[in-house]
Amino acid sequence: MEVRFSLNGEEVTADAAPDTTLLDWLRLERRLTGTKEGCNEGDCGACTVMVTDEGGARPLNACILFLPQLEGKAVRTVEGLAGPDGSLHPVQETMVEKHGSQCGFCTPGFVVSMAVGHLNGRTDHDDVLAGNLCRCTGYAPIIRAAKAAEGAAVPAWMQDAPLEPRPSDAAPESADALAALYAAHPEATLVAGATDVGLWVTKDLRDIAPIIFLNRCADLKGVDVSGGRIRVGAMETMETLLPLFAKHFPSYAAMLRRFASVQIRSAATIGGSLANASPIGDNAPPLIALGATLHLRAGDDRREIPLEEFFLDYGKQDRREAEFVEAVSFPAEAPAFRVWKISKRFDSDISAVLGAFNIEVTDGAVSSARVAFGGMAGIPKRASGFEQALLGQPLTEEAMTAALPALDADFSPLTDMRATAAYRSEAARGLALRYVAEMAGRKEEVRA
Amino acid sequence: MSYELKVDDKETTDRAAGLSQGLLGTAADRPEGVLKVTGRATYAAEDMPEGTAFGVLVRAPAMGRVELGNAPAVEKLPGVLAVIHDKRMLRNPAQGMAGEAPVQGVAEADYVGQPIALVVAGSFEQARHAAEVMEVRCLGEIRPVSPGAVEPEVPEKKQSSMGDLDAAMAAAVHKVDATYSTSAMSSAAMEPHAALAWWEGDKLTVRASLQMLKYNRAELADSVGIPLENVRILSPYVGGGFGSKLGVSPEVVAAAIAAQQLGRPVRVVLNRRQVFETITRRSETEQHIRLAADGEGRLTGVGHDALVSNLPEEPFSEPVTQATPFNYEGAARTIGHRVARIHRPAAGSVRAPGEAVGVTAFEIAMDELAVAAGIDPVELRLRNIPAEVPGTGKPFSSHMLAESLNDGAARFGWADRAAEPRARREGEWWIGSGVASAFRVNMLSEAEARVVLGPEGAIVETDMTDIGTGTYAILGQIAGELLGLPQEKVEVRLGDTAFPPGSGSGGSIGAASTGTAVWLAAQEVRAALAKEMGCEPDDLTLKDGRATCGNISRDIAELISGESLEGHGHVQPGDASSKVKQATFGAHFAEVAVNDVTGEVRVRRMLGSFAAGRILNLKTARSQCHGGMTWGIGMALTEELVHDRRDGHMVNRDLAEYHVAVNADVPPLEVHFLEERDPWTGPMQVKGIGELGICGAAAAILNAIHHASGVRLRDLPATPDKVLAGLEELG
Repeated sequence: MEVRFSLNGEEVTADAAPDTTLLDWLRLERRLTGTKEGCNEGDCGACTVMVTDEGGARPLNACILFLPQLEGKAVRTVEGLAGPDGSLHPVQETMVEKHGSQCGFCTPGFVVSMAVGHLNGRTDHDDVLAGNLCRCTGYAPIIRAAKAAEGAAVPAWMQDAPLEPRPSDAAPESADALAALYAAHPEATLVAGATDVGLWVTKDLRDIAPIIFLNRCADLKGVDVSGGRIRVGAMETMETLLPLFAKHFPSYAAMLRRFASVQIRSAATIGGSLANASPIGDNAPPLIALGATLHLRAGDDRREIPLEEFFLDYGKQDRREAEFVEAVSFPAEAPAFRVWKISKRFDSDISAVLGAFNIEVTDGAVSSARVAFGGMAGIPKRASGFEQALLGQPLTEEAMTAALPALDADFSPLTDMRATAAYRSEAARGLALRYVAEMAGRKEEVRA
Repeated sequence: MSYELKVDDKETTDRAAGLSQGLLGTAADRPEGVLKVTGRATYAAEDMPEGTAFGVLVRAPAMGRVELGNAPAVEKLPGVLAVIHDKRMLRNPAQGMAGEAPVQGVAEADYVGQPIALVVAGSFEQARHAAEVMEVRCLGEIRPVSPGAVEPEVPEKKQSSMGDLDAAMAAAVHKVDATYSTSAMSSAAMEPHAALAWWEGDKLTVRASLQMLKYNRAELADSVGIPLENVRILSPYVGGGFGSKLGVSPEVVAAAIAAQQLGRPVRVVLNRRQVFETITRRSETEQHIRLAADGEGRLTGVGHDALVSNLPEEPFSEPVTQATPFNYEGAARTIGHRVARIHRPAAGSVRAPGEAVGVTAFEIAMDELAVAAGIDPVELRLRNIPAEVPGTGKPFSSHMLAESLNDGAARFGWADRAAEPRARREGEWWIGSGVASAFRVNMLSEAEARVVLGPEGAIVETDMTDIGTGTYAILGQIAGELLGLPQEKVEVRLGDTAFPPGSGSGGSIGAASTGTAVWLAAQEVRAALAKEMGCEPDDLTLKDGRATCGNISRDIAELISGESLEGHGHVQPGDASSKVKQATFGAHFAEVAVNDVTGEVRVRRMLGSFAAGRILNLKTARSQCHGGMTWGIGMALTEELVHDRRDGHMVNRDLAEYHVAVNADVPPLEVHFLEERDPWTGPMQVKGIGELGICGAAAAILNAIHHASGVRLRDLPATPDKVLAGLEELG
């Protein structure tokens, strides 16, 4: 199919299969080889490009970005960071000076991430660069380079303007249109941010045709905060939701910081992360603990279910034919909510255990308890017996310790390469005790 | 002509002292940096000629005799040009410096994931699809895949013993007798292996991602079956190597054979899974270490027995105990080496083969001895530094371990460290610090280089590679220093076998070996300039493009009157290596936090103090140490190849599940170099620095975990589950 977008300031038209990735197209068709392939699955960031649309400029991994997702957008690759006269972008200059480039293979991805951060005025370089792997430098010279470029003016050529997107049969522009199209083609693969589906293509080599791209469904985006609830459109990305969560649930925001890199967060949608129901996805347990409701739609039929009821079994969800996630909603305030992620590596790692707690105390006794874990079962799951054991008890270390056997009874975790079963159980118990300590006013610095 | 040097004796005169340009030792930028930050540096898979076809490797799903059921049907798929299943294709990559064909023959699969065929098509998508639908059967039993499942080989030449270790252990006042294990690891260089091959008549040219071109050229020629002189390899930019690109690998030979058969250029790029599964890994190790010490903590006996693994036909086995003969005192010494022949992907060199894992385990054992003896771990090491290689009378060429330990301890603030473990707690976190010595053998390797001085400046040519280490920078600095030219007036051309053969990159040999060849070549040019000036070379001053001798000063360009002067340098190792023991030394210090609730470990700071002879470029040398220490963090906490117990296939064959350190895992790293000159390494008095930073780094972290939390882990990496289990045991 034909896709029109801006590439390094010039309008281009690509005619390719809808599951063609931007990376393959850049390297093989355009012979723009500055953008590198290090892993082809969004782990390493060597293929980072800048994509600008009405929401601004963001870094994305070109390896799991399908061309049709780019209709009307502006793409800038490493080749487009230097000025038309060849003058270097400030981050390119500082990368040379600070010796941030050694073998140079990860470098284009780093400089694009840095340039997007620079354009957006970000100085939280550790976060901006969390999605780029380097095997040579130990990162410090790269961080120094990013810091050194902070004060430099953004070059004029970095201000990309998106184009007017053209209609496409595969990219409905409203939820109504999507519902109709999906009803007519229930065998279709829905592509939201492609951070998961992209891997079906690049790693599993699956044929996912026909594809319906959701990114242009305007009414699947948007956040509504009213009546004490927050309703988030399925196509909101985790990156754009970060400030919302930071305001309402700081603990969630801190977890999201490690949930995935900026590149992944900028593509991944909240609806996609729930609909694909990965057993180790980090969004479901905290949303379950918050008491989220999933808003599903098939054709004109809409239904609402508690999020935890959506996950039936490993790889199996309560999703009917031609049904898609329209939105997710949850209470706007949850002062007793906390979530913690444990993984081997600080960033870009799948959780060994993720625990989310929302235990309310009234008159000295637990009046409601919502506790959910990831990594402890084949699905994101509530600790129902544990919750029951807590009800009516004071939220003290003693009471919590007494309830822990119920937590053990709720789960039979597996041993795999991320952690042993014994560890998962022990860490879950530890998080429960940490929760009590934190609610008692002991603020733990978990980063160290 | 050529300036030849065989390094037989020491050179105590500082030959660089009389030079004037002031480039050596400075923190010069890498000259190719701009190409890299703009994406214009072209790696192996890039810069495709017109008509390039695309090859994708097909690999074995099991073991035994290979049958490609539907090859004729696959060959008829759209765009498919050929299914190549040629007996010359490689089963395993060549080991470093092999210089001949590695294990060939893809009719048999010896491990799961082994390359067995190449599908070539007009487009990458067509080739990938055709490779995917190929029906491959392997008709054989699954062979042993776990080190514990076989009786290991005990190679006679790799066992050594002096004195009576059992007696020393029996008489010891303090002792350690423990077994340590390290995980298999992957180089995981950022650039996946790739090759682009084309033929012109009987001449083969390959763009490839390789570290040691003169050996790779011979390996490729031997594999394909053509004369050496008909092979040219180009590797101008290499996206990291760390040992994984030492020897010619399957995609290179496959691309060459396919291009030969099809008469057009063929490109073969490994995807990340294929890199993990077909390129050499670092062997896992099991190390039994025994230390016997007297009441003052002085070692009287050392035992170090290692079990590693490799495929049956592979000559390499991880030289775990490489530093053990010379690391510390200890009159009784027993060193053992066993190899389990198992069917996982071939094991080979990964950054600092031997010391990376051997020094790490040994340095944990030393920490255990310090605890057992109640002696400060820095002090324990200082008490055991040998005056010469124990039991041999062989002196060290230079030895600054004591200085490294003292310098590092002072800078780190070691004096403030509590003597007892579990002394500092901040909220959920136990805080503590650890130390480890760093050892790495130093080697010189034969190398040649050419330097041409013309009116516009100088050109350096050698087939040496720059795998990110900074070769382009330092060779330009050396030539510029000797010829009195600013660095931008020296163009360094690398990675082409049409140039004189350098040492290649590997084993930390590059700077000293190829650097010395450049030094010699430039000396020859200096001599010619001196002749033009009518003076002795030693009386000649070259600076900023001017030659000065006594009261005569002339512009160099004018002096050579538009012509060019050529020098050729050739260095070879000589008797020096048998007269003295050469090694680099250092000390690692780490501070960690251990979470009492989750077992997570965060490294809070690390500091290394290193001695490696003359440092040619502060920036690139420091970066090498940063990189090595960062690898130490990975080895200590996260890096671990996991193999399936049933068929040995690699389970975590991607960058999501094989955990190299991310930015957030790396704390501020401090690196300090001690001023040192090693007179036994040639005129520059320089030693290698590329690998020292990883040697022992993980031990400093493991020792810090013990000091922080009281948990002694002997099985790396120290993942949260192991740490938490240890905390549980302590109660």
